[in-house]
Amino acid sequence: MVVMRKTIALACLAALLGVGLVIPVVSLAEDYSFNLEEYEKKSFEWGGYTELKWDHSRINTTGALGRLAFYDKPRNDLDRLTATLQLEGNYHKGIVDFNGLLQASSRRDQVDSEDHLDIFSAYASIKPSPSITFELGKKPFKWGTGYAWNPVGFINRPKDLNNPEDALEGYIGAGIDLIKSFSGTLQTVALTAVVLPVWEEVNDGFGEQDHVNLAAKLYLLYRNTDIDIVVLTGNSRSTRYGIDLSKNLASHVEIHAEVAHVPQQRVTVFNSYGILKKHDRSVTSYLFGLRYLTENNIITILEFYHNDAGYSEAEMERFYQLVNEADNLYTGSGDDSLFRKATVISRSGDAMPQIGRNYLYARIIHKEPFDLLYFIPALNAIINLDDDSYSLSPEAVYSGFTDWELRLRFSHIAGEGNTEHGEKLNEDKFELRIRYYF
Amino acid sequence: MKLFKHLLKKNKLLFAPLLLLPLFLWAAPSAYALDGDSEGDGILKQVDKNLNPESYEMYRKLINIEPDGSKKEFVLYSVKKGQDKMVALFLSPASEKGRSTLRHGDNMWLYIPAVGRPIRITSLQSVVGGVFNNSDILRLDYSAEYDVAQVTEEEQLYLLDLKAKSNAIAYDTLKMWVDKQSLIPTTIACYAASGMLIKTLYYKQVKDFGNGIVRPSVLETDSPLYKGYKSIMIYAKINRKELADEVFSLNYLSRVDELR
Repeated sequence: MVVMRKTIALACLAALLGVGLVIPVVSLAEDYSFNLEEYEKKSFEWGGYTELKWDHSRINTTGALGRLAFYDKPRNDLDRLTATLQLEGNYHKGIVDFNGLLQASSRRDQVDSEDHLDIFSAYASIKPSPSITFELGKKPFKWGTGYAWNPVGFINRPKDLNNPEDALEGYIGAGIDLIKSFSGTLQTVALTAVVLPVWEEVNDGFGEQDHVNLAAKLYLLYRNTDIDIVVLTGNSRSTRYGIDLSKNLASHVEIHAEVAHVPQQRVTVFNSYGILKKHDRSVTSYLFGLRYLTENNIITILEFYHNDAGYSEAEMERFYQLVNEADNLYTGSGDDSLFRKATVISRSGDAMPQIGRNYLYARIIHKEPFDLLYFIPALNAIINLDDDSYSLSPEAVYSGFTDWELRLRFSHIAGEGNTEHGEKLNEDKFELRIRYYF
Repeated sequence: MKLFKHLLKKNKLLFAPLLLLPLFLWAAPSAYALDGDSEGDGILKQVDKNLNPESYEMYRKLINIEPDGSKKEFVLYSVKKGQDKMVALFLSPASEKGRSTLRHGDNMWLYIPAVGRPIRITSLQSVVGGVFNNSDILRLDYSAEYDVAQVTEEEQLYLLDLKAKSNAIAYDTLKMWVDKQSLIPTTIACYAASGMLIKTLYYKQVKDFGNGIVRPSVLETDSPLYKGYKSIMIYAKINRKELADEVFSLNYLSRVDELR
């Protein structure tokens, strides 16, 4: 398996570099011909992308997560090269469709290397009519109307906030989708129900094993507003309820919101006695946001997120204090027991992205400024509103060559001591990504 | 910030999204009633009828042309039903393949397979870049979105001054020149509420698509906002097609290819 993974990773790199030698020549000829035969439907179709990413990070050597990661091999910076190949395919026969998405990646830096081969989705759909679909297999779910966060995404995998539009791995289950359209103020009603088992090696990361869970989403398009009512029940995760909304107020303004309530959420806390403790409490998280487009083509996405299950400032400070003590102990005696304890605690959440309670997300995109077609500069910001620490990432994307996409991004992560972003692994990160679609 | 934290601690913002509910449910007036008595409305309805059958499928190629002559092409499969429901699926290039956009009256969504869920978009955005925006790609009947404010007769043409029925429409006003004989538009100038010219559309090359569908096969556009750039839409294979209403819903967006 390891050999196969390495072979795929190398093939992926070679494919990217090989294709890279043949930058497409853009046609200058005036040709308005339209040969429809090229686009006729085939029973089997496939596609995907190959990607090469290089990033250079300046390590936050005084931050808790920087010290935790590199206490025994200190360094100031890290260069990483990642090659990815994503393949997707669809086979269509009558009312049945088979869909699959596979991702292989290989990552190398001065400290570590990792190869992955993951099946993100592999499922069959049976569609006896436009109103009914049955699905069986592994499929990702992305419920909720928020761009950066989805408190109602009860069966979603967590998004990478730096790449919220990237594909994610699915869960194995069986589902049904029913749609009914009406004329009048209630235009559409749709019900999606998913049965999600959790057994050994089946969805085992989802929650407690040996349970079968049911997730359902009722969608309404009512008075031009998208409304989703979401519920998850079963014993792998405690029962939870949610509602989300989305609406266009004008041709240039969209607003959205989500509220999720979990009567008995299991939370892990690092208490004042230095012990990790789990307890249940009632949690209500919510998000509201907007998308605004100006006349000169600047799109702003703004979201406020209250993560009711997040850590308080005091809880986070306790963890940072533990890393300080671990550092003093290791420097003085070479004993890394406290660092090992902090590593265990960090895996329970303290090193995860967005662990605090109140956040503001902003993404400002200037589409094609100065008449530069396919050039999109943007600025992303994540601010922890409780401790005023932040991450700021300007980026530029160019997609002028057909099927190619180039992205340059710089991230500055900052905050005082004992704040979320002030204690992160990196201070700055520079990233170049080249992607080729086929 | 202190006040904000105080409010959070007091949980007064807890139900902020619920307080927003009335705002969500406030709907912009969707007055689709037409005054069929006026000459202008009659002309506009006939223009719509001449451009599109009631329920149909079609293939389109979009070409963005830069000032140096370089081009980028997109191919779309689209279906439309009634005055206000349309969906388009990208067939090419590979970077866009599988994306689909849905329009249901003033509502618009974009589905990206990798993202896995539809997101609301606005009509003034552009999913393809270049001069065409979403409302041009998912264009509804003109009479569904505009009232005729004035009709002026010119030698061979009617000039219709159109005013948007709601603020959710991409262009606040249109000046539409219509050929008197064929009742097919030749030129449409699109303006923002500020009076700024956003773009001009040119209908060209009238073609017989069969089954009584005779309409322009090329739509060109240019814009003072994109000096030197031009975008072209070429129409092919326009067929009448019976479609279920459920096809025009969010849950169906990932399945549009099945209609081909």
